[in-house]
Amino acid sequence: MSVWLPKTAAGRRWLGLAPSYLVIGVFMLVPMIIMGVFSFLEPNPYGGVKPVGSLAAYVKLFFEYDLEDQLVFNPGYMNIIFRSFQLSAGATLLCLIFGFPVAYYITLQPENRRNLYIYLITIPFWTNLLIRTFAWIIILGRGGVIETPLLAMGVIEESLGMMYTNGAIAIGLTYSYLPLMVLPIYASLEKLDFRLLEAASDLYASRFEVMTKVVIPLCKPGIIAGCILVFIPCLGAFIAPNLLGGGKNLMLGSLVQFQFASARNWPFGAALSMLLLSAVVIMLIFYARSASKRADMEGSD
Amino acid sequence: MTVAIDIRGVTKIYNPDSSRPVQALDSVSLSIDDNEFFTLLGPSGCGKTTLLRLIAGFEEVSGGEIMLFDEEIENLEPNRRPVNTVFQHYALFPHMTVAENVGFGLERLKKPKDEIEATVERVLNLVKMKHLGDRRPNQLSGGQQQRVALARALAPSPKVLLLDEPLSALDLKLRQAMREELKQLQKETGITFVFVTHDQEEALAMSDRIAVMSDGEVQQIGTPTDIYEHPVNRFVADFIGDTNFLDGEIVEFNDDLVTCRIGSNSLYEAMNSGGHSVGDKVTLFLRPEKIKLAAAGDSDGTQTRPGKVANMVYLGNQAAYNVDMGDGIELTAQARPREDGKLPFAIGDTLAVEFSARALRVLAK
Repeated sequence: MSVWLPKTAAGRRWLGLAPSYLVIGVFMLVPMIIMGVFSFLEPNPYGGVKPVGSLAAYVKLFFEYDLEDQLVFNPGYMNIIFRSFQLSAGATLLCLIFGFPVAYYITLQPENRRNLYIYLITIPFWTNLLIRTFAWIIILGRGGVIETPLLAMGVIEESLGMMYTNGAIAIGLTYSYLPLMVLPIYASLEKLDFRLLEAASDLYASRFEVMTKVVIPLCKPGIIAGCILVFIPCLGAFIAPNLLGGGKNLMLGSLVQFQFASARNWPFGAALSMLLLSAVVIMLIFYARSASKRADMEGSD
Repeated sequence: MTVAIDIRGVTKIYNPDSSRPVQALDSVSLSIDDNEFFTLLGPSGCGKTTLLRLIAGFEEVSGGEIMLFDEEIENLEPNRRPVNTVFQHYALFPHMTVAENVGFGLERLKKPKDEIEATVERVLNLVKMKHLGDRRPNQLSGGQQQRVALARALAPSPKVLLLDEPLSALDLKLRQAMREELKQLQKETGITFVFVTHDQEEALAMSDRIAVMSDGEVQQIGTPTDIYEHPVNRFVADFIGDTNFLDGEIVEFNDDLVTCRIGSNSLYEAMNSGGHSVGDKVTLFLRPEKIKLAAAGDSDGTQTRPGKVANMVYLGNQAAYNVDMGDGIELTAQARPREDGKLPFAIGDTLAVEFSARALRVLAK
């Protein structure tokens, strides 16, 4: 044979895994490293970066130069970051409140209908997110689907001003990421042994207690996975905040996008991304820790 | 004697509005005494598990009433019925320890904490699982999970304990050991047990009374001896133990015995079971262990006939012989191996086959 193969089993295993290492390296690690490096460089006013080391981008997160060129604390960006976390948490909670009953309902359906419903849940993904978010402007906006009939009936005198608020952003985010909550919760509910529900009600648990003591604890992995899958893209989202927040209620994602597209401050955008990344990684580590602890406790069944 | 459960004309139809409704129970009535070990026995699909689930409240009755100590319960939610279930696959909560599983029912009943702890300890002790209270269910063997399921169902001191084929997932040795333990436990606790099984041996070994079910109906209710020795119909005789069935015709009556014509023209004396008259076509049954086999010429019994060994199956502690009695009649009988392990007869041997007229019974109509 003319094909070269490693002599040892370990070598061959490495060769077999090489394509996945390559994909992870090229499509994940290299861009992240580039981001990390950019965040420590100086911005080029015409876009891109100058190859000069600088911590300015990270300083800018917390401080600004006042008129006398003194560094003073600037809470502006921190506020945006804080609001991002708040809105993302709110949207995640809304997704959980709406998504769990949907997932539970689908689990209770006969098997052939379950697949249909799951398919229906994923249908919004077939349309561009931008267009779907625009639809919310028509729903929430002045003279929109909600306001027009209410105005006509005289229930309200003037526009409710639902657009361009934090609430509008939260609704947009909830709408965008709801399927990402439903799917993992459904996946864990589907594995649930429904005989346990009978056992619980046999042992005097009310319907509510069956939920809180048996169903929810047992599909906790799905709930946590759903929350992570919703919360993280919410943090980085920029379409919903830009369109529904009208640019005045910025979120972390729109801020990053603004630095690269308009403000031409790539290092600052990169620094914001690194902040976002570390927040996400820290959360994931906590999740992995608690998941492995749970696995230890419950053994490997 | 107090009646624990009184089932009155209970009917269950699954999917009543669909194009294919399934009748699982057809107007079943039976009453179970307090402090009784009562078994629902039948092949799969006979409705025994449905009946148990109706008592527990997991299914709704389509008609009829279920009384629990004179209280109508068929419309109560499962959590409002003072009965507990031991499930076939245990259904232990995987996210809780053994002790938490056992305490689950007591906690839902809002018992004081120290009472819960004391009861959990007492019940775990009862099933010999006290040392494993901190384990998770998936760290236990099947037999241990079985005991925890039992403890969990006993902990709230139910008025009736329902057991849905609880031993079927265990291996043979364990199953036999658990039989005795279950029986013992029932005596100690004084709780009425309703036990569902398809294993007739299990039913005979443990029960005070057995209800044999088939096709959604109760065929016979009685003590294990009743059911085995006096089956009311062919189904019961066939389902419990091994049986020879013979088709015959009644020729004449004399006292409690009848003479039957079996095959083309062989006359046998048999026990009558009433309800027949001369000329009736009847089914007779004869348990294999009631037939005595001897070498030809050895026997002088009253109803001794010649036979020939047609086939034989060796079972270790005994051998089952198919004996050709001539005239198209074939009987299954048993014989023990001799002390040296050799079998007493071989295929082709001619035998003297003996059985009492009291062992050969005419089945009731």
